[in-house]
Amino acid sequence: MIGTASGTRSIAQGLADRISRNSLRLRLVSVFISFLVLFVVFSFTSRNFFNFQNLKVIAFNASLLTIVACAEAIVVITRNLDVSVGSIIGLAGYFVAKYATAFPHSGVMIIVVGVALGAVLGILNGLSVAYGGIPSIVATLGTLAIFRGITIIIGRGIEVPSGNLPRWMIKGADLEILNVPFVIILAFVVVLILAFLLANMPIFRRAYAVGSNPGAAVFYGLRSNRVVLFAYTVCGALVGLAAFLYVSRVGTITVNLGRGWELTALAAVVIGGVSISGGSGNIVGVLLGALILSTIDNGLVLARAPEFWRMFIQGCAIVGAILLDATIERRIQTIFTRRRA
Amino acid sequence: MKRVLVVLTVLLFAGSLAFAAGGKKYRLFQDPKFTGLSYFELCAQGGEQAAKELGDDFVYTGSPEADVQKQVQSLQSVVAQKPDAIIVSAIDLNAVAPPLRKARSMGIKVVSYDADTAVDARDFFVNQMSYEGAARAMLDCALLDAPEGGEIAFIAASPTSPNHMAHIRIMTELTKTEAKYKVFKPVATQFAQDDEAKSIDVAINLMQAYPNLKVIISSSAVSAPAAARAIETIGKVGKVFATGVALPSSIKSYLKDGSEKAFFIWDPSKLGYLASYVAHYALDGSLKNQEGFKFTAGSLGEFTVGKDGEIVYGKPLFFTPDNIDQYNF
Amino acid sequence: MNGFARKFRWELFVAGMVILAGVWATFLSPYFLNAGQLLYASGNFIFTGILGFGLMAIIVTGEIDLSLPSTLAVCTVLLAKFSMFSLPLWLAVPFIFVVGAILGAINGFLVARIRLPALAVTLGTMGAYRGFAFIIGSEVGYTGFNDTYLWLGAGTIGKTQIPIQLAVFVLAAAVFVVLMHFSTFGRRCFAVGNNMRAVEYSGINVVRVKMAAYVIGGLTAALGAWIFIGQYGSARGDNANGVILGVITSVVLGGVDINGGSGTIVGVILSIIFLWTLRSGMGLANITGEVQELIIGVLLIASILISNLSRLRLAYGKRQKGKSKVVDLGRDV
Repeated sequence: MIGTASGTRSIAQGLADRISRNSLRLRLVSVFISFLVLFVVFSFTSRNFFNFQNLKVIAFNASLLTIVACAEAIVVITRNLDVSVGSIIGLAGYFVAKYATAFPHSGVMIIVVGVALGAVLGILNGLSVAYGGIPSIVATLGTLAIFRGITIIIGRGIEVPSGNLPRWMIKGADLEILNVPFVIILAFVVVLILAFLLANMPIFRRAYAVGSNPGAAVFYGLRSNRVVLFAYTVCGALVGLAAFLYVSRVGTITVNLGRGWELTALAAVVIGGVSISGGSGNIVGVLLGALILSTIDNGLVLARAPEFWRMFIQGCAIVGAILLDATIERRIQTIFTRRRA
Repeated sequence: MKRVLVVLTVLLFAGSLAFAAGGKKYRLFQDPKFTGLSYFELCAQGGEQAAKELGDDFVYTGSPEADVQKQVQSLQSVVAQKPDAIIVSAIDLNAVAPPLRKARSMGIKVVSYDADTAVDARDFFVNQMSYEGAARAMLDCALLDAPEGGEIAFIAASPTSPNHMAHIRIMTELTKTEAKYKVFKPVATQFAQDDEAKSIDVAINLMQAYPNLKVIISSSAVSAPAAARAIETIGKVGKVFATGVALPSSIKSYLKDGSEKAFFIWDPSKLGYLASYVAHYALDGSLKNQEGFKFTAGSLGEFTVGKDGEIVYGKPLFFTPDNIDQYNF
Repeated sequence: MNGFARKFRWELFVAGMVILAGVWATFLSPYFLNAGQLLYASGNFIFTGILGFGLMAIIVTGEIDLSLPSTLAVCTVLLAKFSMFSLPLWLAVPFIFVVGAILGAINGFLVARIRLPALAVTLGTMGAYRGFAFIIGSEVGYTGFNDTYLWLGAGTIGKTQIPIQLAVFVLAAAVFVVLMHFSTFGRRCFAVGNNMRAVEYSGINVVRVKMAAYVIGGLTAALGAWIFIGQYGSARGDNANGVILGVITSVVLGGVDINGGSGTIVGVILSIIFLWTLRSGMGLANITGEVQELIIGVLLIASILISNLSRLRLAYGKRQKGKSKVVDLGRDV
């Protein structure tokens, strides 16, 4: 009797383990399925949708958002928010544009300047949240205003026309390798590197722990302050990279660049299955989230839908994605608890 | 001899008029759609220069966001400071009307420029180009790009930008009624809120949705260069063209490398200059709101008041690869 | 510090800031300290203030709602439709209150009943409701409101210059003070925000409390919409777009804990007045928008930093005096 019972229990345990390990992957699958459904729907609404050129466009438009959303995801995993990413794009981007105009031959330095400035701004965010004890939504609301204000003040209303930027930047943004735009490849590489780091590098693993249970993390000695500061710094640096790409891609830069990106990035993060209460989430999901948003945009223009339907559908998509996510999560939970004999 | 005397007298009279006009010091406030855009900053520079010539005080104010409510709040703030004249470019012609009507009831003169407000909310409207003039100018540029015609699409800021929507309406009409524009077929209108990245995305999506698209026309000085960039990005240089309203500095590189052929604009600083003069003359009473009334605005020359107090600046500048180097703004 | 001062430390702090701001604003611009001007400009804070009351109730229960301004937009365009068909005000207003309540209830259902994360869900409904407002209102705005509709937002009391919307604001403030601080419901909200699990076990229906908070939020959005059209005379899908961050700022600056469980309506009122005083003063001095936002951003961070520093110093101080080691978990010791 006892043997059988414990045997059953160990089988149940093994099954439960496997399910919980796969639950993250299951959520990813749900995001992927949503993506496929969208594809099917849009392929029917417009014959211009399903071709290589258009798919390239969707991926292209999503690539910048992917990098920013990945940056945001890292912060969200620690159970914090960064609503200042739009302003970081603004300040870092404007700085990059001005620097590139002034020193067009400095080559890689331009990229370094963007990433470095982004990192600095990220550090400022991280200090306020981790060491200043300011709730993240409040701190980054404040820095959103401060960074944007600084951008506009130093910009003094002057645009940087694309003609002033070094040609290699502009050409680089358009560059294609084997018919695939370089920017898409770059976004992919960023996602892959981050996925690897998040799964293996200790400080990133600690980020998951801190987000999962901040109180316990403190008692466990995880130095959550440092982890959070690190998360914000990485976020800022990635956003700085995105700002450089933004400048290369858009060309003509005004002081209002990047406005509103924080909400789109959050949307991509949320649709991608990253839990807003921290502690879990897969970077690949974020990539899918960005792709879904870009697909909706593209599909609606191709389907000749009026502009404002986009907002409505995006909003519903976010709610739908969260519902789907939670449903799957609960399903797993009920299977888990029911099996326990 | 007699002719010389006449000329001298006229000059003296004009001179004394100018002197009398510049006698009282007025406070002019300029409030654009939003600050931080070169175009509006240039309008401000022109406005300030005119104010200096006239001996007036000039204040440039406004919100850096393209937001209707922020502009209304900014205007309320301006009204509370009891200026002599308010010079405004409206994001939404009806939304900004209440504070402007209040201003007029307090004796403040309201002059709109670049983008009009409701007619009863302002004394005069300084229009850079008549809507029809601008529409024709853009179609003419499009003809330079694609003389054989084809499908065209429009990018505007928002459905409530009166000038953009008027341009699109007239352009659509012209492609149906006028022989030389009949080669064009408008297929779509999209909105990009004067945002560069959005304009690029919209332009790319447009080219995807309409594979035979020939020209993308944009009344927004932010979207026109962005469309040119989008064409470059997607690799359709030479197949699709972008044109419309753009500052020369932002499209210089495209004209030089041959990917684009023509854009147009008016000199924003001259527009601002004219607006200040109109405000000043409205204040000292020398400018009457009558159709056909003529006046001189400083170094810009003579202008005529049109219907509903509209004064058209009407001096478009066309940019082509040949003349782009002459302009440095 | 006596008990009153300690309990309302933050509120007194903000009150002090209000006075400082008023002094600074007067110094900045001679036009500020003028009764007519102050009354005229009060409109700038009233509808966001009312949204702030609704948001405060939701935040106190430990949740959040980013979609309130979008709900407001839905209500303004609905009012426009009513006005367009020359329907009377007494039909229109109850209708939008019902709509506001329903939109709030949807949020409440998703967050409280289905237990989805509030920030994410209301991020979605923020977009969905806004899109919905555009769908109803189409892209062009509506401005032909007849005067009865505009009365609440634009009218003044009798022959005085006092705007009716100011009276509405005072009334709403009084209602919320009673609701949040002197009623069972209010007590339950704070309890839920402090320790949801415990409240659940004590038999109170947490879902109902949160649901009610969200519905109240929706109602404040409807009221805000009615005032909005009077204030601005126009209704369009993008009304109050982007206002949510400002409302959150004023609620947080008012001393409401973003994680729920504490805060006062008085604090929110004071912080709204403080922010408005600052903005008005700076606006009258023609300080450009971005500088205004920058200053407010700095103030937001600085004020919380200062408050945290003083709390930390208290905790460290006690430790140095040889008292028992206190681990500062972030609550008042």
